Amino acid sequence: MKTMEDHLSNLERKSISIIREAKAQFKNIAVLWSTGKDSTATLWLCKKAFFGRIPFPVIHIDTSYQFPEIYEFRDRIAKEWNLNLLIAKNEEALREGMSPEKNRLNCCTALKTEALKSIIRREGFDALILAIRRDEHGIRAKERIFSPRDENFRWRYMDQPAELWDLYVKPSEDFSHMRVHPILHWTELDVWLYVKREGLPVNPLYFARDGKRYRSLGCMPCTVPIPSNASTIDEIIEELKTTKIPERAGRAQDKERAYMMQKLRSLGYM
Amino acid sequence: MIILALDALDLKLVERYNCRSLMQVEYGQTDITEFKLPRTVVLWASFLTGKNMESEIPIKTQWDYRLNPEETFLKLFESYKAIDVPALTYKGENHAEVRRLLKGYFNDEATVEEYDAVVWRNHEENKREFLDSLGKFDLLIGYFDLADSIGHLSFGIPEKMEMVYRELEELACEVRSSTDEFILVISDHGMEAVGRYGDHTMNGFYSTSRKLGLNLPKITDFYDIIVREAEG
Repeated sequence: MKTMEDHLSNLERKSISIIREAKAQFKNIAVLWSTGKDSTATLWLCKKAFFGRIPFPVIHIDTSYQFPEIYEFRDRIAKEWNLNLLIAKNEEALREGMSPEKNRLNCCTALKTEALKSIIRREGFDALILAIRRDEHGIRAKERIFSPRDENFRWRYMDQPAELWDLYVKPSEDFSHMRVHPILHWTELDVWLYVKREGLPVNPLYFARDGKRYRSLGCMPCTVPIPSNASTIDEIIEELKTTKIPERAGRAQDKERAYMMQKLRSLGYM
Repeated sequence: MIILALDALDLKLVERYNCRSLMQVEYGQTDITEFKLPRTVVLWASFLTGKNMESEIPIKTQWDYRLNPEETFLKLFESYKAIDVPALTYKGENHAEVRRLLKGYFNDEATVEEYDAVVWRNHEENKREFLDSLGKFDLLIGYFDLADSIGHLSFGIPEKMEMVYRELEELACEVRSSTDEFILVISDHGMEAVGRYGDHTMNGFYSTSRKLGLNLPKITDFYDIIVREAEG
C-alpha cells in the first residue's frame, strides 16, 4: 500500500535528481527565491541535493513593493542557511517612479522581468531553477521540466523538447538560458505536506490573522488575502483538502487579462 | 433530427459534472487541428457545409458572414428551423452587444455581472424559441453560446461553470425526453482555463442518440453522417 510518506519521498527523489542533472549540465546556474513556500521548499531540495550547502547563487527579485515580512524572512533564512544571496532590483525604473499604480503589467515587466534579465546578463547565468508547479496556473500546464528561453524570455511552448522516460534533453539550438522546474509535478498540497514533514520555516503571511491569510505571496499593492481561519500548517493542509478557491485568487489578474485580450482579439471577438 | 449546437462545450466539464443527457448514447471529442485558429464562425460554417471554410471567411467580417442554406445540409430537409446558428441565422445584434460588453470589460467600462446578464438573457431567448419549435420541423438546430461566452470571462470559476453546464444538461434532458428522433449534440471547440478566463482548445465535443462508433471525428465529418440520417 502506498502511503503519503512514499508519495512525498518519491516527489523529493525526482526533484533532487532534476536539480543534480541541472547542475551537471550547466556551467553557471542559480536558483530563484521569492521566500514563498514553493521556492523555500525548492531551496531546501537544493540543500539536500548537495548535502547541506547550495553550491550556486540564490536570486531574490526585489521590487521594493514587497511585504516587510518577506524581507525579514529572506534575511533571516539567508543567514541561517548560509546562502550566496544576490538581489535583483531595477533601480533605474524605481528612480523613474515605476509603480503598480501606473500600470500593473508594465510594473511587473520593469521590476521583475527586466531586473531578472539584467542579473542574468550581468552574471552570465545559463540556467535558472524556478519553483513553478503545473497545478498552479493554466498557463503553466504546458511547461516542461527543462524549458529553454530566448534573450527576450520568450517561451516557445509548441517547440519544446520531449521529456520521455525522465530524460531531460539539453536542446542543441540556440537559447539564452534554460529554466529548470524541479517541483513542476508537485501540487500545492504536496508542498505543504512536505513543509510539515521537513519542518521548513514558513513566511508568517501564510497564517491567518483576523480571518484572512495570504495563499500566494506577491507585491503588496497587487496581492490580497483570502478569507481563512487556518493559522497553523495542519489547518492549512485541512483547508486545502476542501477549498474551491484557486491558489492565485489573491493575485492581480492583469497578466491573464492581457493574455486573454490578445487571444480574443486574434479570434476576432474584440 | 435535432442538433444542439453548443459553443465551447468541453468534454472534461461534461464528465466532471456528470451531464448524462449531454453524453447521450455515444460521446467523445472532435479534432479541429486542421484549422489554424479555433474560430467560431469558421467552425460552424465548416460543420454546415462539410468543407473547411477557414480561407473563405476573413476575421474582420466573420460575424456578418452568411451561407446560402442550399450550400448546407439544410437543403436535405423539407422543413427546418435554425436558431441563431453562426454563418446562417446568427442574431448579429444580440451577439454584438455581448462583444461590446466583453471589450468594455477589458477596458474597465463594464463589469462581468453586466456581461453575464446579457449572455444569459440571449440564452433564455434562444431556449424559449428552441423549446417552442420542438416537434414542428424535420430538422431543428439550435445554437447556444452560454458555455463559450460565460467561459471566456469565468472558466476558472468552478461554481459558475457548473451552473452553465447544469443549464445545458437540463436543456439536453428536455430535448431527449421530447422525441425519438436522432439527436446530435456538437460543439465547435473546447475550452481551457487561463487564470479566471477561458481559452479555446482544438478539441470540440460530440454526442449522438445512437451508437455510431466514431473515433475522434473532424467537425466536417458530421456532414455525411447528417446526410445518411436524413436519407433514412
